[in-house]
Amino acid sequence: MATTTLRTSTGYRSGLYDWLTTTDHKKIGILYLANSILMFLIGGLFALLVRVELAQPGLQFLTDAQYNQAFTIHASLMLFLFVIPVLAGFGNYIVPLMIGAPDMAFPRINAFSFWLLPLAAIVMLSGFATGGGAAAAGWTEYSPLAQAKYEGIGTDLWIVALLLIGTSSILGSINFIVTIFKMRAPGMTLLRMPIMVWTMLVTSILVLMATPVLTSALIMLFIDRNLGGHFFDPANGGNAILWQNTFWFYSHPAVYIMVLPAMGIISEVLPVFSRKPLFGYKAFVFATAAIGALGFSVWAHHMFTTGAVYLPFFSFMTFLIAIPTGVKFFNWIATMFRGQLTFSTPLLYALGFLTMFLIGGINGAFSAAVPVDFALHDTYWVVAHIHYVLFGGSVFAVFAGLYYWWPKMFGRKLNETLGKIQFVFMFIGFNLTFFPMHILGLSGMPRRIADYDPNAGWNDLNLLATIGGFTIAFSILPFLWNVFITSRSGEPAGDDPWEGNTLEWATSSPPPPYNFDHLPEIRSERPVFDARHGATHA
Amino acid sequence: MSIPRPRLPRPARSLAALVALALLLAGCAALEPPAAVTSQGQDTRDLYDFVFIIAVVIFVLVEGLIVYAVLRYRRKPTDTELPPQVHGNSVLEVIWTIVPTIVVLIMFVFSWQTLNQVDAVSPTPALTVRAVAAQFQWQFDYLAPDGQTVQFTQQAPELDLPVGVDVHVILRSKDVIHAFYVPKFLFKRDVVPGRENNFDFTIDPADVNQTFRGQCAEFCGTFHSTMLFSVKALSPADFKTWLAQQVATAAASPAPAPSAAGGATETTLALTAHNIAYDQATLSAPAGQPFVLKFTNSDPGVSHNVAITDSTGQQIFKGEIFSGPDSRSYPIPALPAGTYTFACSVHPQMTGKLTVH
Repeated sequence: MATTTLRTSTGYRSGLYDWLTTTDHKKIGILYLANSILMFLIGGLFALLVRVELAQPGLQFLTDAQYNQAFTIHASLMLFLFVIPVLAGFGNYIVPLMIGAPDMAFPRINAFSFWLLPLAAIVMLSGFATGGGAAAAGWTEYSPLAQAKYEGIGTDLWIVALLLIGTSSILGSINFIVTIFKMRAPGMTLLRMPIMVWTMLVTSILVLMATPVLTSALIMLFIDRNLGGHFFDPANGGNAILWQNTFWFYSHPAVYIMVLPAMGIISEVLPVFSRKPLFGYKAFVFATAAIGALGFSVWAHHMFTTGAVYLPFFSFMTFLIAIPTGVKFFNWIATMFRGQLTFSTPLLYALGFLTMFLIGGINGAFSAAVPVDFALHDTYWVVAHIHYVLFGGSVFAVFAGLYYWWPKMFGRKLNETLGKIQFVFMFIGFNLTFFPMHILGLSGMPRRIADYDPNAGWNDLNLLATIGGFTIAFSILPFLWNVFITSRSGEPAGDDPWEGNTLEWATSSPPPPYNFDHLPEIRSERPVFDARHGATHA
Repeated sequence: MSIPRPRLPRPARSLAALVALALLLAGCAALEPPAAVTSQGQDTRDLYDFVFIIAVVIFVLVEGLIVYAVLRYRRKPTDTELPPQVHGNSVLEVIWTIVPTIVVLIMFVFSWQTLNQVDAVSPTPALTVRAVAAQFQWQFDYLAPDGQTVQFTQQAPELDLPVGVDVHVILRSKDVIHAFYVPKFLFKRDVVPGRENNFDFTIDPADVNQTFRGQCAEFCGTFHSTMLFSVKALSPADFKTWLAQQVATAAASPAPAPSAAGGATETTLALTAHNIAYDQATLSAPAGQPFVLKFTNSDPGVSHNVAITDSTGQQIFKGEIFSGPDSRSYPIPALPAGTYTFACSVHPQMTGKLTVH
């Protein structure tokens, strides 16, 4: 496998050409991360547009139509072109290193999966260049609103973009599954794999099982819109709820696709900075698998108010999925207990994840209680919930992962002071933005409205949320500055700057194209720890 | 909720603890849904309060453990040896699997019971109303006791209902998915084309003569945020009178007569509705003589009209509601000098000022 990356440069090939044609999983992983962070920034600008418009009642800056495009594209970019690919990017970079493999199983397919993503982004955003503007029916694109009668060509471009992203995800997931099952180094049994690898494995299985359902739904919607089909059009014998069932059959497991690898990152960071093994490794593996399995039986909790689903079943399954998540929480906390915590930036972000994702889990339980969901569904409460899960959870984990593996990727550490400044602003800004949304939702503010009644009592909290939004935006500046200055004068990292546990710390920083000159013996889930201290258990 | 211990190690720490406690209490106090005005909403509220208490306990317990670990287990300069390498503890892990399982099962059972109360539909409702949603307006058909015949259609987005009796609502959509949502009912239900959803509720008699805001909660297109309505709670006697009056009016009045061939001096004002907004915020007219308001509705498929109210809120004129693109000439009676408000009966947020002098 590594032979594809061993080709020596013949001089006339520039560095750029090398990056454009690479099949090295590490470079592809970095490309995934870079592209995803670019999408995070663009998606963030759309979020700011939304927040600016909502800062006060009345339409000041956007028209209704522009507002609808802004929140639709914000969510579509963040979910499909940031959170999912950024975690796939970490997986790409780190999984082969963690299991002692020289590369992914299918390096060329790996490169192809990546290059579909910028293409998809261009296709989706090109909607803004069309007469009707970009997709505007929300990231859920509920039919009949998403039909051609109501929405313009921007929606077709959105469908095509999602088909490309889906193809990328499916190919990537096959690549991960084959890599993890077939390319582990000698001694790396399944139950010695780092939790990050386990979460990527379960995530890949979810992607492989769920994404084709979304793909077929998207094709049906495309046929409805362009080729005279009526799958989801009740005016012509179709079924509007069928779209929601197929869409959420993918998009609920997708929440776990967006969260499980983040849990994986946290499960790598906490033990290293506590100087203890992960508490309850096996329970953690089973909890991950349980979340993956249960994740397929809760999709209709997004549809409680449609009147078209069997409520007690989906309520029960949704409550049930809290149990493995709770197990993970206690395991993480027990990992820190009696440890020796070092408050480096990765640990701060991991603690941000723990404290915020907990809120995202708890406020989710309200919606599992169906009658309470009748009150809260489609209000700002749900906006608060999804952001506590995907920002408080996934985004904090992404930054934990970036600060943690940056030294491995580039051979230099990111600046700790700037990292801590970023964390403080991001943590405060995040809570200022999203905590008030709970209260807005309870008092009846629906999501996806461009304007609201100035007498509804929502003015102050909306202004607060907008101030929080700008605080988050501000917190990105120290990060970008950090990347810029450390690329020139960062502290050299060495092979193992954090006293890591897993195999990526057993090679140089950055690793050679073939990853390892030699591997330490693998006798537990912490081979590098064992090599440093000697094994502490049989 | 933890109370700060009397003896605290350092002032900074006690300050931090107090701030945390204050935020927690403020958060708890603010996280309260509006007081429910239906008996079903009250059931939901009870469930919310139950879930909320469990949520606060879990939140305080788990965040407390995290904060404790962070404060207690910092690495000290003397920590050169590794801490004990504990890989797990089966007893602990079984406990923290079983206890949450019991907690979520209790929550599930309680929420299922509440669901059965909230979702119950009476075979003999006192009143059946059909809410018909379309981009971007509501209309309410008051059905006869047979549940079929329309007695009267309220085109303005105002749903007048009797308190203390069981009201049955049937939802119908003319185009895309909408949602009937009244925050003070603590309830919403989607209005799905091709499907007839329905539900029951009983407004608490204590809330008589109140008005509750309602709004479409499922994103339904460009002007989703303008799709408002209100619910007015009347005593059963008032409601009966009101309904009889509306039914009589609807039966008696055909479409408003076109303006009689007016005098040569008659003033004509022009007003256009576009994108759920009037093109003018102010109009002026001469006092003491009738005039014509030529109203153009340029929103395809969306209903508008112009209604005029005086400064006391008394409605003086209500123009026919019609769907665009179309136009009507409304004959406005002579008005005394003063300031009036004009508004669309379907979209109350469309308003302007009429000055008569």
